[in-house]
Amino acid sequence: MTMQDDIHVYTKRRVLYTVIGVLFTLFVARLYQLQLIYKDEYGKKSEENSIRTIPKDPIRGYLYDRNGRLVVDNRPAFTVTIMPFEFNKKNIPLLATYLNLDPDFIRDRLKKGEQFSRFQPVKIKRDIDFRMLSAIEENRERLPGVDYQIESKRAYTTKANASHILGYAKEISEAQLKMVGDEYVQGDIIGSSGLEAVYEHLLRGKKGAEFSTVNVRGQVVGSFDNGKSDIPSIAGEDLKLTMDFGVQELAESLMIGKTGSIVALDPQDGGVIALVSKPDYDLNVFSGVVSADQWRELNDDPAKPLFNRATLTRYPPGSTFKMIVALAALEHNIQSPSSRIFCTGSFRFGNKVFKDLHVHGSVDMLDAIEKSCNVYFYQLMLKVGIDYWSDMASRFGFGQLSGIDIYEENPGLLPSTEYMNKRYGPKGWTKGFLPSLGIGQGEVGVTPLQMALYASALANEGQYHQPHSVKSFIDKKTNHEDTLAYHTRLITIAPESWNIVREGMRRVVMEAGGTGGAARIKGVEVAGKTGTAQNPHGKDHAWFVGFAPFDHPRIAICVLVENAGFGGTAAAPLAGMCMEQYLFGHLIRFDHPPAATNGSIAQAPAAAQKTRKD
Amino acid sequence: MLAFLKDRFDIRLGLITIGLLIIGALSVYSAVYDARMADVFHKQIFWICGGLVVLVLLWTMPFRFLQFISYPAYFTSLAMLLAVLLLGKTVSGSTSWFNLGAFRLQPSEFAKITTTLALAQYLSASDVSLRNLKHLAIAAGIALAPITLIMLQPDLGTAVTFGGMFLSILYWGGASRFTLMAIVGPIVVAIAALFGTTAFLIAVVVVGILLFLTRDHNILAAVAFSLTVLIGISVQSIYDGLKPYQQKRIATFLDPSADPLGAGYNILQSKVAIGSGGLFGKGYLHGTQTQLNFIPEQWTDFIFCVPGEEFGFMGAVVVLGLFTALLSRGVTIASIVRNRHSSFLAIGLTGIFAAHIVINIGMALGLMPVIGVPLPFLSYGGSALIASMSIVGILLNLYAHRKEY
Repeated sequence: MTMQDDIHVYTKRRVLYTVIGVLFTLFVARLYQLQLIYKDEYGKKSEENSIRTIPKDPIRGYLYDRNGRLVVDNRPAFTVTIMPFEFNKKNIPLLATYLNLDPDFIRDRLKKGEQFSRFQPVKIKRDIDFRMLSAIEENRERLPGVDYQIESKRAYTTKANASHILGYAKEISEAQLKMVGDEYVQGDIIGSSGLEAVYEHLLRGKKGAEFSTVNVRGQVVGSFDNGKSDIPSIAGEDLKLTMDFGVQELAESLMIGKTGSIVALDPQDGGVIALVSKPDYDLNVFSGVVSADQWRELNDDPAKPLFNRATLTRYPPGSTFKMIVALAALEHNIQSPSSRIFCTGSFRFGNKVFKDLHVHGSVDMLDAIEKSCNVYFYQLMLKVGIDYWSDMASRFGFGQLSGIDIYEENPGLLPSTEYMNKRYGPKGWTKGFLPSLGIGQGEVGVTPLQMALYASALANEGQYHQPHSVKSFIDKKTNHEDTLAYHTRLITIAPESWNIVREGMRRVVMEAGGTGGAARIKGVEVAGKTGTAQNPHGKDHAWFVGFAPFDHPRIAICVLVENAGFGGTAAAPLAGMCMEQYLFGHLIRFDHPPAATNGSIAQAPAAAQKTRKD
Repeated sequence: MLAFLKDRFDIRLGLITIGLLIIGALSVYSAVYDARMADVFHKQIFWICGGLVVLVLLWTMPFRFLQFISYPAYFTSLAMLLAVLLLGKTVSGSTSWFNLGAFRLQPSEFAKITTTLALAQYLSASDVSLRNLKHLAIAAGIALAPITLIMLQPDLGTAVTFGGMFLSILYWGGASRFTLMAIVGPIVVAIAALFGTTAFLIAVVVVGILLFLTRDHNILAAVAFSLTVLIGISVQSIYDGLKPYQQKRIATFLDPSADPLGAGYNILQSKVAIGSGGLFGKGYLHGTQTQLNFIPEQWTDFIFCVPGEEFGFMGAVVVLGLFTALLSRGVTIASIVRNRHSSFLAIGLTGIFAAHIVINIGMALGLMPVIGVPLPFLSYGGSALIASMSIVGILLNLYAHRKEY
C-alpha cells in the first residue's frame, strides 16, 4: 500500500494547508498590528530615543555585632570604565600605563564586554587611587569613552581582622562566573569566603537599572521616561552577628605572634562570640581588586594565613579530654568518684611505662581532674574501654561536623573499635593503646571549635547547640528582622555526673592546687581544664577549655596555642582575659593598681608557677 | 534536456530556497555591519556555499540510499549526541557543540534529520501501524532517545522542534486523535502547571474531556489521563523545589517582561525594531535598532528583526510568504511521492521547518516565550544552515523520484 492509495492523504493535506494558512494569517495580523497600528509608538521609541540600560549595583548589606556595633560597612571607591563604542582601541597602551595594567588584560575585558553590548560600560579597574583618578581626569580629551563610576567597597571598622569568619567579597573570577551563570556579569562583586560567601544571597541585594535614551549615534540624550521606568537597586540585607568584637579584638591581640586559635561561644544558644585563627590576614587586601601577586603571597605563605585553624585542623586534645573519660566511667557505674588510687608518677602496662609529670599520691576523681593526674586516667581508661569512651565523646560532637555557618570545617577524628579494627586489623591493636587515649593523646584529633562546643555543653549541662555566627538578618528598608533558627540537642547525662566533672573543672581554676589558676577573674567563679598536648611537630600545644560564671555560664571558651608549652601558663591566662572582657565589657583587672588586684594578670605568672603541671 | 531537468528538479522549492538564502545573507550582513564582526558574515557566506554543495549531493544521490542509511545514520547521531554531552564545549550554559578547529559542530541539528529518517524507515514497513500500541511505543522511543539527550545539554529549543517533527509524522501516519491528544495533553498541562494551580486545573479538565471524547478504550484513556495529571503535579512540585534564580529563569520564560534586563530586554527591543519598521521599513542598513546593536547577538535568534525593521511590513510579509510557500511545498511533496518512506520523510522534514519558523518568528513578534531556535536560512550558524539545506536537498531528491514505489 502506498500513501497515495490512501484517500485520507488528500484530507490530511487539506488540513495541513489550512493550518499553515491560519499561522500565516496570524503572523501577518500581528505584523500589521505592530508595524501599522502601533507604528508611531514604536517608531518614536526607536527614532528619537533608543533605550540603553545601565545596571546599578546595590549596596551590600552591613554586618553588626551582638552589641549593635557596625563591624563591616561600605566605602566609596572609583572604578574605571570603558564605553566600547566610543573608545578607540589605539588608546589601550596609554590607558594601561595610567592604570598600571597589562594592555592585554584591558583588551580581553573589552572584548568580553563588547560581546554583550557595545553600549554598556565595561569595568576595567576597581578601587583606583587618587593619582590614577587625576590622570584619567586630566586626559579625558585624549581618552574618549573612558570614564569612572563611584562604587562601594568593603570597609572594616574594627581593629579585628576576623578574616576566617567574616570572609571576603571580591570581584568575581572567571571560574566563579562559569559556576553561578546568569546571575552575575564580569566586574560584579561576589562573597567568596566565610560569611560573605554563605550569606551572599542576602548581602548582595538586587541590581537596579537606569534607562537612558540615546540618539541614533548612540549618545545619551537624557533619562528615559524622566526616570519613571528606572528600577531602583535594592540594598542587601544587614546581618546581625552573635559576635562580640570587643572580645574578638582582644583575643586577636593576645594571639599576635602566636599560632593557634581562640573560639568563644555563648553557652545559652551556641552563638559564636569570637573566633580567632592565627596567623590571619587583612581582609582589606580583598576589598578592592586582588592582584595575582598579593594572592600568591597569601597562598604560598608557609604560615598558611588563609587556613582556618579553628575549624579545619586536627589537634590532639591532651588533658582537656579527661572529662570524657570521667563522664563515661560515671555514666556506666564503672568507678565511684570517691574511690582513690595512688599515683607514683608513672604507670606500667604490659612492658610499656606511661609517664606522669608528678607524683600526686592518693587521688580521687575530683583530685585527678583538678591536678590533671595522668596515672588516674590511664587506669580509668582501661576500665572504661574504647566503646564507652568513644560513645561519650561522640555525644559531645567529636568526630562530627558541627554545622557552623561558615561551612569550612573538619570533623576531626574519633577512634572507635570499628576504626581501630580497620586501621590496625582486628588483632593489630591491644588495650595498650587505651592509656594514651585516656589523656587525649594518640589517635584522637579535634578542632578548637569542637573543644569550645565541648566546654559549652559542660557549662550548660548538656545543651548542645549548633554553633553559628549570624543571629538574624534585617531588611534595610522595612527594618523587618528575621531571626534564624538553629538546632539544639540534649546530651542526657545524670545530674550527679555533671556535678562531679563540673566541680572538678571549678577546682582546676579556683583551688590553690588546680592547674588553671591563671584563668581566674576577680569576683567571678570560673571553671576549666588545661591541656598540654604532645605532638610530633615540636614543643607541646597549650590548651585551655572553660566557662564562666560557674553557676550561670554566659561564655564558654577554648584557647589553643601551638608549640607554646603548658596549657596552664600559655593558654589559661588568655582565656581568663577574653572571658573577663566579655562579662564586663572591658578588662577589669586594669581598673585598679596591680597591687590591689587579686588573681589578676600580674599574678598570672605566679599562679602558673605554682601550677606544678597541667 | 530541459524537460528532463524540469521533471527532476522542483523549480518552486528551488526558487523559495534561493530567495530565503539571499534574504538571509543580506540580513546577517546588516546585523553585523556596524558591530565590527565582519567575520560572522564571511563565515555565513562560506556556509551557504558549503550548503549548496551538500544540497546538490543529496538531490542527485541514488534514491534508495536514503532508506539504506536510515538506521545507521540514526545510531551515529545518537552516539554523537552522547559524545557531545561528555566531550562537548559549553556555550551559554548548554553543552551542544564540538570544536573542530575554527568551526563548531552542533550534532543536534543533524540528529533532527536522522531521527526523521529512522522514523520514516520504521513506520514505512507494511506491517507497522500507528494504531498498534506496541508500534506506537517503538516510534515514540525512536523520537525520545535523541530528545532526552538534547534535553540533557540542555537545549529546550532544539528538543521542541523534534516535537513538531514527531507530531506531524504521527498525524500523517494515521495515528488516532486520541494518540495525538495523549501526547499534546501532558505538554499543555505541564506548561499550565507553571502558571499556577488555577491554570493547571482548567488545563486538566479540558485535556481530560478531550481525552475521553476521543478515546477507544476506557482503561487506556484513564491511564493517559492519570499520567497527564501526574506529570502536571510533578512539574509543579519540581518548580517549588527549585532555587529562586532557577524559578526566575522559568518565570522569565513564561513572562519576558518579568525580567526587563535579561530576556525581556530582547523581546522589548525586538518589538521596537519590528514595530518601528512601518509599512516600507527604514531602508537597508538604515535600521537604527539593528545598526546600533540594541539586540544582543541579533544575527542568531533575532534575525527576523532585520527584514522587519529595514524592509517594514512589506519585507516581513515577503519573508513570511516564502516560509509559507516552503511549508506548503513540503506538504505537497509528501502527498505526491509514491514511496511510503519518502512520504513520511517529507512530512517529518517539513514538520522540523514548521517548528523552527513558528517558534522563532512567534518569539520575535512577542507571541511566544523566548526559546532559542534559529530561523531556517536566515539565522547565522553553520550547523543549522547546513541542516536546513540538507533538508531541501532531500526533499528535491524525493521529488525527483516521486513516481518510484
